[in-house]
Amino acid sequence: MIRTSPAVAGGLTATLLLAATLLAQDPPSPTQGVVKKGKVPVSREILKVKLPKPVEADLPNGVHLLVLEDHRLPQISFQIFVPGAGGYGDPADQPGLASFVAAMMREGTATRTSEQISQQLEVMAATLNVTAGMASLESTISGSCLSDQFDGLIDITADVLLHPSFPDQEIARYTQRTRAGLSQQRANPGFLAAEMFARGVYGTHPAARLSPTVAALDKTTHDALTAFHRAHYVPDHAGIAIAGDISMAAARKLIETKLAAWNKAGVPPMTVSEPAALGGPKIFFIGRPNSVQTNLIVGTQAITRTNPEYDVLQVMNKVIGGGPTGRLFIHLREEKGYTYGASSSLSAPMYRGDWSAATSVRSEVTEPALRDLLAEVALLRDQPVSDTELADAKRSMIASFALSLESPAQLLNYYVTRWRYGLAADYWDRYPERVSAVTAAQIQAAARTYLAADRMQVVAVGDPARVADTLKKLGAVETYDADGKLVP
Amino acid sequence: MARRPSGRLTATAILIALSMAVSPSAITPPRIAFTDTKLSNGLRLIVAEDHVAPVFSIAVIYNVGSRDERQGRTGFAHLFEHMMFKGSENVGPGEHFYTIFSNGGTMNGTTNKERTLYFETMPSNQLEAGLFLEADRMRSLAIVQDNLDNQRKAVQEERRQGLDNQPYGRTNEAVDQLAFDNPAYKHSVIGSMEDLSAASTQDVASFFQTYYAPNNAIIAVAGDVTTAGVRALARKYFESIPAQPAPPAVDITETPQASERRLSLEDPLARLPRLDVSYRIPSDLSPDGDAVEVLSLVLSSGRSSRFYENIVRQKQLAVNLNAFAPESRGPRLLRIIATPTPGKSLDDLEAAIEAEIGRVQGGPIADWEMDKARNTARRQLVAGLGQSLSRAIQLAQFALVFNDPGRINTAYERLTKVTAADVQRVAKQYLTRENRSVIVTRPAPPAPKGGL
Repeated sequence: MIRTSPAVAGGLTATLLLAATLLAQDPPSPTQGVVKKGKVPVSREILKVKLPKPVEADLPNGVHLLVLEDHRLPQISFQIFVPGAGGYGDPADQPGLASFVAAMMREGTATRTSEQISQQLEVMAATLNVTAGMASLESTISGSCLSDQFDGLIDITADVLLHPSFPDQEIARYTQRTRAGLSQQRANPGFLAAEMFARGVYGTHPAARLSPTVAALDKTTHDALTAFHRAHYVPDHAGIAIAGDISMAAARKLIETKLAAWNKAGVPPMTVSEPAALGGPKIFFIGRPNSVQTNLIVGTQAITRTNPEYDVLQVMNKVIGGGPTGRLFIHLREEKGYTYGASSSLSAPMYRGDWSAATSVRSEVTEPALRDLLAEVALLRDQPVSDTELADAKRSMIASFALSLESPAQLLNYYVTRWRYGLAADYWDRYPERVSAVTAAQIQAAARTYLAADRMQVVAVGDPARVADTLKKLGAVETYDADGKLVP
Repeated sequence: MARRPSGRLTATAILIALSMAVSPSAITPPRIAFTDTKLSNGLRLIVAEDHVAPVFSIAVIYNVGSRDERQGRTGFAHLFEHMMFKGSENVGPGEHFYTIFSNGGTMNGTTNKERTLYFETMPSNQLEAGLFLEADRMRSLAIVQDNLDNQRKAVQEERRQGLDNQPYGRTNEAVDQLAFDNPAYKHSVIGSMEDLSAASTQDVASFFQTYYAPNNAIIAVAGDVTTAGVRALARKYFESIPAQPAPPAVDITETPQASERRLSLEDPLARLPRLDVSYRIPSDLSPDGDAVEVLSLVLSSGRSSRFYENIVRQKQLAVNLNAFAPESRGPRLLRIIATPTPGKSLDDLEAAIEAEIGRVQGGPIADWEMDKARNTARRQLVAGLGQSLSRAIQLAQFALVFNDPGRINTAYERLTKVTAADVQRVAKQYLTRENRSVIVTRPAPPAPKGGL
């Protein structure tokens, strides 16, 4: 199987790493990553597809409703987005409060116990989840079911959204399970790397938080949960997206009936702050004894979703690490055999997000693999992407649109993105045109700006006995233990 | 609700629960039309034409998996799968995946004990490219030492990433080793580092010759294609690939287990203990397969399941507890994996799991639990029909296992015929102490510091 995304990421001091000695130190590649014989009878045309559009409406309580009617299968899925109810707004001394509230909403309402909610949903074979990411701006309530169960599902959804009761007994259970989970996740090298990368890139910004603290969990009370719910689960800026076997008329009637009590609160839209600018390149090492691989992440702060260079950075990311056609996969796996997978990703939310490349390699090749990773980033800055590579990356991105036509829910997500970020009405119609227009010069300029060596953060998680000294060759290293504590 | 005697619910609450529980879905899942033919070289071709989206998927199943590996070559079937992306007569190394992704498609390959599956989903104007790519490697795989060495390294990293560098990795590998006696099913699909290192190009060549023959393969194509068009292209690209003698049959017999097996492991990467309980159950081909499926839903599907509600939520003995039964045409397990709540005893957790199994065996199974199982099956069926890839894989898989791709349309109806009495019967028959293997994994000392 081909896997490009290990569960990790990292940050670095790149200038030091990219000395001219690099290539000399690099062992020669015995194999070529991709050889194109050019005999496959591919159609050079990109299939023209027309994306169906949802019907949209603004409800009196502020909710923006999007319905993508699709009767191919007797099923319906929905999402309710509640801006302001995500972990982004957690009080500084209560990290995890929003995710606690979200997890507890299914654990009891004024008229249903936790057990009844689970049983009623599962007998209908319906799903219902409330999630609020630690750094997310919003809470998301999502669900799906066979179409003849949709009334029942929305009935329970409305109850969970409007009348959660936060029973003390369920609070204690959640706390206990989450404490165990916090312990367990520290055994996962991917988590350790991602946590340190977020700290390195985001500093004190909410995006640096990946999980709650035990202290915050333990002091969370029924009253705190109730107050957060009352203040933040308001419809003023919310969105509801429904895809599947239902019309706008039927969906609107159902939502307006079941959520009739969800009244406008008159709260202003939330404001978002940017993370502080990065101070310079850094190397972080997390010692995880007995590791047989080193998990690496290299990356830095990038852009917001509405940045005009978003499409340029997407194409750039596709070229270097967007899947098995990316340079990282071809070079680190198919040529060098250092790893099972290597890839990169761009995260561009309301605030300045990050770009990162990640891989995990056997301990003994930590140094050459990290040097290669950084060399690939340098190459984007130093040389324009070739015409063929650029054309292939763009074609891949544009032609893959056809595949989304198989999934109404995925299609609807495009329009949710447009609504959420205030993008132009014809944003997705013009997507192929915009991607096609990206040039090699734009990519190189973007790489020089955003992937500059003096911005890079490097994270490595591995066996201290085998890896710590290697990293020191690359620059000053901040070392931590697997519990996240600085090792002097 | 009668199954839980705690009396915590009010009468009103019970009425609400009951009124909800008596409204099972009336939806009839749609049926998938398909054709099922063989080319003259024995290649089975299944085509399910539809035009709901401008997309098609190809699933190619070779009837070979880790159970076919010879001694000293564990992990070879999967290593071989990697070689299938390293080129053939008309396709360069890596060109297969590069071509598919660069033209907007997706693809992958995956190996289990019993089959190796390759698949791609592409925009509908690329049908010929997809079939050409699959045919070229079936006909003329390139067997090059450097490429084998390269993919051996990638696979060894796959093993480290997924197993050796993860908590409970050794436990996951030990389950089959402990529970099975048949060597074909005892070892892991990923194989041992030593055996992976020993694999040679001669092994690749003979494995290709024996197992990657058209008469040992099934191709299913689903989506925006015409059946005639697929057949014409299949004849053009595949039909001249010569058939081979049938591969040797695998001995799938398993001597009955006489008594409980237990193993204790210490894991230096784990932070919490883990309990694994695995019961031998009959193969997918057994008439009891559907009842076993409902049994695992009753025990462990969702938060209303007996395991979650009683052991995780009420007794709080575990923070995670799941039961599942991976598919197998041969020896097979119903596996239970539990993480005890910190501070709670593994013995109490094991006893609670046993007690819940005892309650299925001895006590009633409520109507709502059977409704839930039926609706869950119906929902899963409908959800699985949305993607052409899922349709193609199911058709090929049902053809492989049951020699009946039509099971895609009847699997749900079969499941609705299972009764509560059937579920109790299979629970009594298979979930016995003598028939299980138990592994207790504990974090290795010294205990990790700074625990939460």
